[in-house]
Amino acid sequence: MAKAFFIDTSLCMACRGCQVACKQWHDLPAEETTNRGSYQNPPDLSFDTYKVVRMTEVVEGGRLRWLFFPEQCRHCLEAPCLEAAGDPGAIYRDDATGAIIYTAETRQLDADAIIEACPYNVPRKAPDGTLAKCDFCIDRVHNGLEPACVKTCPAGAMHFGDRDFILAMAGKRLAEVKKNYPEAGLIDADEVSVIYLVLYAPARYYQNAMAGLRRPAAMTRKVALQRMVSPLRRMMNALGG
Amino acid sequence: MTNHWIDIQNSDCILIMGSNAAENHPVSFRYVTEAQRRGATLISVDPRFTRTSSRADIYAPIRSGTDIAFLGGLIKYILDNKRYHKTYVANYTNAAFIVNKNFGFKDGLFAGYDPKKRAYDKSKWAFETDSRGVPKTDRSLKHGRCVFQLLKKHYKRYDLKTVSKITGTPEDLLKKIYAVYSATGRPDKAATIMYAMGWTQHTTGVQNIRAMAMIQLLLGNMGVAGGGVNALRGESNVQGSTDHCLLWHIWPGYLKTPRASNDSLKAYNRKWTPVSKDPLSANWWQNYPKYSVSLLKSFFGAKATAANQFGYHWLPKVDDGKAYSWLDLFDAMYVGKIKGLFAWGQNPACSGANAGKNRKAMANLDWMVNVNIFDNETGSFWKGPGMDPSFIKTEVFMLPAAVSVEKEGSITNSGRWMQWRYQGPRPLGDSRPDGDIIMALGERLKKVYARGGVFPGPILNLKWDYLTDGRYDPHKVAREINGYFLRDVTVKGKVFKKGTLVPSFAYLQADGSTSSGNWLYCNSYTEKGNMAARRSTKDAANGIGLYPQFAWCWPVNRRIIYNRASVDLQGKPWNPKRWVIRFDGKAQNGKYVSKKWVGDVPDGGWYPMQNPDGSMRKDSRYPFIMRKHGHGQIFGPGRADGPFPEHYEPLESPVKKNPLNKQLTNPTAAVYHRDIDRFASGDARFPIVCTTYRVTEHWQTGLMTRTQPWLMELQPQVFVEMSPQLAKSLGIENGQRVKVASVRGALEATAVVTRRFQPFRVAGKTIHQVGLPWHFGWRWPESGSEESANLLTPSAGDPNTRIPETKAFMVNIEKI
Amino acid sequence: MRVNRRQFLQLGGAAAIGVSVCRLGFDLKPVKAHAQMLKTKYAKETSTICCYCAVGCGAIVHTSRAGDGRVMNVEGDPDHVINRGNLCSKGAAIKQLAENEKRLTRPLYRAPYSKQWKEVSWDWALETIAKRVKATRDATFAHRNGKGQVVNRTTAIASVGSAALDNEECWIYQALMRALGLVYIEHQARI
Repeated sequence: MAKAFFIDTSLCMACRGCQVACKQWHDLPAEETTNRGSYQNPPDLSFDTYKVVRMTEVVEGGRLRWLFFPEQCRHCLEAPCLEAAGDPGAIYRDDATGAIIYTAETRQLDADAIIEACPYNVPRKAPDGTLAKCDFCIDRVHNGLEPACVKTCPAGAMHFGDRDFILAMAGKRLAEVKKNYPEAGLIDADEVSVIYLVLYAPARYYQNAMAGLRRPAAMTRKVALQRMVSPLRRMMNALGG
Repeated sequence: MTNHWIDIQNSDCILIMGSNAAENHPVSFRYVTEAQRRGATLISVDPRFTRTSSRADIYAPIRSGTDIAFLGGLIKYILDNKRYHKTYVANYTNAAFIVNKNFGFKDGLFAGYDPKKRAYDKSKWAFETDSRGVPKTDRSLKHGRCVFQLLKKHYKRYDLKTVSKITGTPEDLLKKIYAVYSATGRPDKAATIMYAMGWTQHTTGVQNIRAMAMIQLLLGNMGVAGGGVNALRGESNVQGSTDHCLLWHIWPGYLKTPRASNDSLKAYNRKWTPVSKDPLSANWWQNYPKYSVSLLKSFFGAKATAANQFGYHWLPKVDDGKAYSWLDLFDAMYVGKIKGLFAWGQNPACSGANAGKNRKAMANLDWMVNVNIFDNETGSFWKGPGMDPSFIKTEVFMLPAAVSVEKEGSITNSGRWMQWRYQGPRPLGDSRPDGDIIMALGERLKKVYARGGVFPGPILNLKWDYLTDGRYDPHKVAREINGYFLRDVTVKGKVFKKGTLVPSFAYLQADGSTSSGNWLYCNSYTEKGNMAARRSTKDAANGIGLYPQFAWCWPVNRRIIYNRASVDLQGKPWNPKRWVIRFDGKAQNGKYVSKKWVGDVPDGGWYPMQNPDGSMRKDSRYPFIMRKHGHGQIFGPGRADGPFPEHYEPLESPVKKNPLNKQLTNPTAAVYHRDIDRFASGDARFPIVCTTYRVTEHWQTGLMTRTQPWLMELQPQVFVEMSPQLAKSLGIENGQRVKVASVRGALEATAVVTRRFQPFRVAGKTIHQVGLPWHFGWRWPESGSEESANLLTPSAGDPNTRIPETKAFMVNIEKI
Repeated sequence: MRVNRRQFLQLGGAAAIGVSVCRLGFDLKPVKAHAQMLKTKYAKETSTICCYCAVGCGAIVHTSRAGDGRVMNVEGDPDHVINRGNLCSKGAAIKQLAENEKRLTRPLYRAPYSKQWKEVSWDWALETIAKRVKATRDATFAHRNGKGQVVNRTTAIASVGSAALDNEECWIYQALMRALGLVYIEHQARI
């Protein structure tokens, strides 16, 4: 059974335990940052930062809201990055969980094309071109542990489990919050393994909260090209599906 | 906390005011969330919209330093709308007590004020007593001088309009909050308060908390599940270090530090042991001598004998009427009266109010011992900003301590849970656990005094046998703290062997036959083992999340204190669904004939106040057993600044008139008068209200977080938050560096321009407020650009606690 | 001490993953082998209580049994009834508190009017501190106050700290300070 995350942003309080737990488990170095007039830091995802809690102040219904969105790779069910890569030695799907995994071999890929292919603008490259992003804590998950971010979340905002279970949980929670927040929704729930619940239109949170907000989710020309030269990739999809 | 973290889940209404739990105690939100899921309302009252506010059902802004006005309005609302829990108030609180005729309140002053001493003669606030000396009561609450009627009279002035004018909180929000909160006056509902330094760090700090305690008593919210008065303590063991009394005025277990006038142990015990003539008052502190003598036996072991008053005079005495608190300490150091300082795991160069004064004071020391895990602004004060080492004679010894995961021992959380932790890695490099350093220092001192010295008795006779194989052994100390039978003793018909551990403080003795380093912890390490190390996840019969066999809590593992107030006079829970304790004894012919309580450890196991037939029992006790008269104190005649909380402005305030009374500021506030203790109230140079706070990503002066790259990545710099309106008027852009200055000092900070701060309308005027975190200091980050917000804060304090007023003061902001 | 780590998930199919891919000529074994090894597998596990705020969250410390014997990982203790495995950003960063190059690892001494620290031995430091304490105490000790009352104290030595100490350390610390005759004893709870 594939696994999924449910991230309930209505409960997130931006303690950022997830951000640090992610760095801690993965032994990722800290970035040098400055305060740019916001609590949010680092300003963006990076090769060394797989998870960033985005923070936005908005006025909704005459009420000030401070919106928090713990951003990470969505582990798409049909992952454009994987398709763009066409090289399972560099980017592959772990079929037991649905995790999309990047290896050190990504340095052989056209990094910009992979980044461009991502509808959520998630992957980031190192100076040598190696790509990195959330790895689903695949080592933990295969050993019966929750992903580090999910485990640490004190707000009850993050959940992990079998996809069916998570979808049911997300649906139930959505029905609950809909009573007070009619605009609430689950972002791209049918297409991703990391399902966010938002109270307001996704664009209120940040520009890439939902696929297609930044630009059409359609594949770039490069991706199309890559698919043509990658018959093995297609076969794999057919077999793996 | 009277209750504990998990218990927050049982609440119907959670008020977070004077704290910012989502940011500073994030894991508490597990339980806030659980309560909300059950339908509880979360209210956030804060000068600024915080991460806590982001999760709240209701958010209301309040100008810093006006909490008593806000809470006074709530008291008035509860009384006007009869939302109080009448049976509880009449029987369990001192609302029915009659106050003597001399009591009064006029022009902001209670009876008995002496302007020269800036203090009250508290005898003017005494209760009227009968011939036995028991306070007179009118349980119908109608007597004109009963506490309940005086309370009504006192808070009559706190109407919505006046409160709004002071606090800047809009009237409609006040009304909404008052209505929701006071709805928990129903017997089966509970509200809780989560507060922290946002309430204590004021010249009216104690009265802020008193006001809330009174509200909780009026609504019957004390002792019940989901209720209580809950101080969210900020350090992992600040509860334990307070219990063990690293404080000038108290000895372990909240015993008093002897005054010079307590010229013998007998005089000391007589002075501090309260006497109640009321047979229904447990007056628990009547056991005082058992605890003080047992403590002396732990200090001096066999050397403490009846003949030498158990070593009473080996311990120092303080002068009557003089304070030796933090502010006094640094004041004395500033004028050169203190020559040596131990700064052990603390960083006063950044943590103290008016930190510039502390830093200058340190240059007067002959020597300093600084024990820490990192170099800090205190140990390195001599090379700090504005210091010239070539003029500073102070010798500094900086000793490297182990971090918590490198050693073994216990700490006590905010919910009074004592929890054991274990050693992971060995101490890094040549660092050592604090326990080893303290033991080694003690041994050296004993050695040098063995060769002679002034008054060597206490040093040479100090019991100091806590090593095993040459190393500090926390188990040995934990057992000493619990206490031993020092000879074969028979107590309450039970025989206890010499050398065995005392099962609980009920067995301690005043004759030297028992020892206990801290009576409150007697029961924590017994013949059954180390209670703090327990790990059972089984809940108690009431299923409210007490987990009685997980760790251990004081007193005697009672998870919710004052829990006998959670039942009615016949011992039945006010709330049968979320009950804490329940009387389960047998009844015959309308009378209870056997004693049994179930649930939490009851606050004393006496029979309930009443039999099932409604007759009162003579063998019961009032529920508030630590109070002399056994009642919760709506009237608090022991406080320095009055028996009822009254609104006074902070010492530095933007307003020139107090709409509620003729006193602008607390007439008893602790104020200091050196050249460096400057204040600027109503001063056009400093027109902006300022407060300080913490953020999730840092901790205290930041020494244990500024040194961590992962946390610095999240919050790299000092910032000052301000409204867009204020920023615009000052021409400040978001993210720009600015200078924040008070009359005492200044620092640079990054402007965070945010709608989360809004200007206040106070008495028809627009008043701006800003705030900044106090986690920084010049040593880390190494750029030296980030300084302590305590360079700004005033060295003035609450008259009861002398906690400095670091939460409300006046500043100016300039572009750089 | 035994710590029960709650197994959160059951993944049955892990062994079968690679098959379809290998059939196509890609060998993902090295990648997958890496993915399936838990870095804490052979570490020593101890339980601790977080050293920051006073919620009292439990955490599990994984210490390397090999090599330097240092902390590899710290994460929330799932069997702790308060935090059930959760930790905030500070708690999640405890490893970096222990494994930190800025830590003090040797006693340091700053002489009068000096501009620098000097590394010293524990023996020398403790011996010298004891001498300084004695000198100040003996020079300032008051048996009686101005009113002639017995006070047996020194007001020339002060102590601040420490909520950072364990309970047992607090107790012996206050005992030593009080035995020396200090009355200026204060700490974090006051401020």
